[in-house]
Amino acid sequence: MIEFDLTLKRGNFNLRAALRSEAPVIGLFGPSGAGKSSLLGILSGRLRPTHGRIVIDGRCLLDTAAGLDVPAHERHIGMVFQDSRLFPHFSVRRNLRYGYDLLKAAERRFEFGQIVELLELGRLLENKPHQLSGGEQQRVALGRALLASPSLLLLDEPMASLDERLKSQILPFLRRVKDETQVPMIYVSHAINEVLDLTQQIAVIQDGAITAFGHFHEVLRDDRVLALAQSLGLDNVLNARILQHHPALGYSEASIEGFPLVLPLMDVPEGSVVSVVVPATNVALSRGPLQGISIQNQVPGTVTGIRTIGHRALVTVDTGVDIIAEISEKSVRDMGIALQQQVYCLFKTQAIRPLGRYDHTG
Amino acid sequence: MQLLPLSIEEITALTLSVKVALWCTLVSLVPGVFLGWLLARRNFPGKSLLDSLIHLPLVLPPVVPGYLLLLLLGNQGLLGKWLQENFGIAIAFTWKGAVVASALMALPLMVRSVRLAVSQVDLGLEEAARTLGATPWRVFFTITLPLAVPGVLTGLILAFSRSLGEFGATITFVGNIEGETRTLPLAIYSYTQVPDGDLHAMRLVLLSVALALAALFTSAWLERRATRMLGRGRGHD
Repeated sequence: MIEFDLTLKRGNFNLRAALRSEAPVIGLFGPSGAGKSSLLGILSGRLRPTHGRIVIDGRCLLDTAAGLDVPAHERHIGMVFQDSRLFPHFSVRRNLRYGYDLLKAAERRFEFGQIVELLELGRLLENKPHQLSGGEQQRVALGRALLASPSLLLLDEPMASLDERLKSQILPFLRRVKDETQVPMIYVSHAINEVLDLTQQIAVIQDGAITAFGHFHEVLRDDRVLALAQSLGLDNVLNARILQHHPALGYSEASIEGFPLVLPLMDVPEGSVVSVVVPATNVALSRGPLQGISIQNQVPGTVTGIRTIGHRALVTVDTGVDIIAEISEKSVRDMGIALQQQVYCLFKTQAIRPLGRYDHTG
Repeated sequence: MQLLPLSIEEITALTLSVKVALWCTLVSLVPGVFLGWLLARRNFPGKSLLDSLIHLPLVLPPVVPGYLLLLLLGNQGLLGKWLQENFGIAIAFTWKGAVVASALMALPLMVRSVRLAVSQVDLGLEEAARTLGATPWRVFFTITLPLAVPGVLTGLILAFSRSLGEFGATITFVGNIEGETRTLPLAIYSYTQVPDGDLHAMRLVLLSVALALAALFTSAWLERRATRMLGRGRGHD
């Protein structure tokens, strides 16, 4: 159980962030400059908020009203940073043991060998940090934080400095940590697909405030988050079950809520559920199904909302899940689109981007 | 010119110089590291004043700090009298005074060197150590200090060398007493003031050069070793 309510005033920057969650992993997502680092700084004890309260698993770490401020080294909040911050003068083994050796045996949540095995660090133990690859360094940093037995693990863009190949190497380890250690985590990133690989519980931070928290599907539809989601092209996040791959033809057959969907070829097992994004600007509407057209995906639904912003209109269509189409105001008038009307959402296969596996256990 | 054997007087000056220099290095270690760290890592009112005070001996004529020491620690000085009466410790005109004088002159070199080294230690590493449960003291001794070791070593060698060369403050504060405060530079000076002293002076000059070179070589060697031990800088490089 994580609970905090914090206020920080520093120059022009105001942070006012509150959250209460039982979720094992929270993805903290927001644009840069929104206050992610400040929030982590306060949680880890590096920064002191103007006022506020932090309670982790019933242990109060900060309560400015009561004059309580547990120093950083007594908080048991582990951190994994973007730059691994391994101690360059110590071997991997001594890095891993740094926090571990400061604990009494009874305080340790894991055995040394257990974490070494979990993160496959055995081969690296006698190396110095500079001899490791970026991905290996992050694995060591993760292990070092876990061995200090944190009651909360903060991951601050742990993969931001890794290239795609290295990311795909560290991600399975993060999943393992999540599945096997039961250490609550807050995973901070400005790349939502990274976050979604680990959790669907998303907190969105914008302009120093947590504007939404919950399942990412609902969160991205929250009015306050919508603009951010749209600016990132995340307005239509759909969960599709993969039915069959057609590698020779370059597409995957899938369904959402019973409707067939043609996706670009996905690199996941058949039967698994993937999250895909269709930007609202790439969704067209028609009054009926169209024949003789290249667009493969035609999903029928009912218009449940029309919002105009300038000369653009955001039309929400309930197809079983909501799909938002961004069309011109003129189109809305010309087509006579109105609430409760039956329409078809049209989008090209190539307009669909994979976002991550919705449920990696399949 | 015959270089060997050295005369008793010369050997006395040499051993005294080395003794004073070693003590000077030892004495300036803790305050030097503390002040260097303080100036690198902390902000407090009066910081620039403290910084200036530490550096004063570098820019003043050495006679001035020597004279101030005499006023403070001399037998009739404020602190000197008190030490003498309560503990029977005499500083002025003893080799201990020579240590104090050269430590004061060497301190700015030590502090500068440590300060530079500490300010180059990544604060992020210290922060990481804190989140792993290390107290600020432990962070200092396990992360900051070891990573600043090359700078500390440089500071120590500088202090040692500065002490070997110290003249003005020493002669003002503790005089030029053979066997007690006549270090190498003072001995050289003394020999140049007497007839037929040239040969002795030259022998001591060569000795000084050898000693200084030895210190510099040791420094370079230690630094190379320390840098190797620390790995190549930051972890992700």
